[in-house]
Amino acid sequence: MSYPARLQSIIDLFESLPDQAKRENLIAMADSAKKFEPQEGQTYTLEDVRKDEECTDTVGIYLTVQDQSQCNFHVSLGPQVQTLTRAMTSILCKGLDGLSPDEIMEIPADFVPKIVGADLVRQRSQTTYYVLSRMKGVCKVWLNRKRAAESESNSS
Amino acid sequence: MNYSYPDILVETQWVEENKNNDQIRIVESNEDVLLYDTGHLEGAVHIDWRADLQDQVQRDYIDVSGFAELCSRNGITPDTTCLFYGDKSNWWAAYALWVFRLFGHDKVKLMNGGRDKWMSEGRALTREVPQFAKTEYPVPVSRKDDEIRAFYADTLAHSNARKPLIDVRSPGEYSGEVTHMPEYPQEGVLRGGHVPGASSVPWKEAVNEDGTFKSAEELDQIYNVGCSLKPDDDIVAYCRIGERSSHTWFVLTYLLGYKNVRNYDGSWTEWGNMVRAPIERS
Repeated sequence: MSYPARLQSIIDLFESLPDQAKRENLIAMADSAKKFEPQEGQTYTLEDVRKDEECTDTVGIYLTVQDQSQCNFHVSLGPQVQTLTRAMTSILCKGLDGLSPDEIMEIPADFVPKIVGADLVRQRSQTTYYVLSRMKGVCKVWLNRKRAAESESNSS
Repeated sequence: MNYSYPDILVETQWVEENKNNDQIRIVESNEDVLLYDTGHLEGAVHIDWRADLQDQVQRDYIDVSGFAELCSRNGITPDTTCLFYGDKSNWWAAYALWVFRLFGHDKVKLMNGGRDKWMSEGRALTREVPQFAKTEYPVPVSRKDDEIRAFYADTLAHSNARKPLIDVRSPGEYSGEVTHMPEYPQEGVLRGGHVPGASSVPWKEAVNEDGTFKSAEELDQIYNVGCSLKPDDDIVAYCRIGERSSHTWFVLTYLLGYKNVRNYDGSWTEWGNMVRAPIERS
């Protein structure tokens, strides 16, 4: 399975790392999650901020879609969100940047253990998958709205 | 009224003042698998509940040789006092402490309020991983599974005999309304409910807002008055995978001085998946 180019290069990097270097890079990624926080005063195409039953804290997904096809994500994470989930947030914001909503919807989640390492994906760290599912959820809303608008336009 | 073993529980200030004591090894144990790497108390080693304390193939703990090796590589001797702290109000710190007790390492302490309290007080963290000279930790004669650990069969017998069983999960998990913890995804359990005869006393009732333990009087009110537990009762506590019930085991054993408390670490992920295990819902 090949993934979008930016995501693939991150996967390749992590797969090449020994365990300790992988941990260090995940910490660096977690630290850099702040760079992807939403900017004050900035408007986004879609915002989805909520505290889900299955997550320890509030997560906000802010999507910008340029030229009807290029996604750019910003994500807000509450203080209780786990380090691994923070790291995955940075990875996804970088790895999915510029993809279309349709392309994002098709990305399987099986790259997560390739990046994180199977040992770290375990009970009580399953929220590693959560941010991807939230990003896909926002893309789905965007696609549904687009199709509805197109359908309305065709019928009028 | 005081805690039964007040020396076991230490405050953050005490830890600050004793962190360089070479008779003490500070141990961080967390749910967040990378949290230690983001910063920890000076001199603290990391013991991971899954990678370090559990067997990597079957669902069980490491064996006696594994425990000796774990202590050895962390510079721990039988005379070292292991001082545990961690995230989540010390769930995993209490779990690690309980596992150390399984192997007969009785010199243990817990930092009241855990990592969150330390951080809320603005105390220092470091990313420097300490290096300690390897010790010769003698291999324990046995793992004391029969003293402070309960298995499925023990718990079933306990249930049938209507002996005290404490379900420390959230009320929704106890009633069977949900099969996951609040704020967590489903972790693979097929049936909801509780062990027949178990009383619901969520772990959280034992702590204040800041994660510190409630006073001895308040704890006595919860477990003795509210739940009719007596210090000599034969008690089994369980949760989902054994960490929240380790927390309650610590409360009953060290803070209230109950003498015969066991942790059923198989907990609901075993019971709720076991074919024909009796289940009550309410």
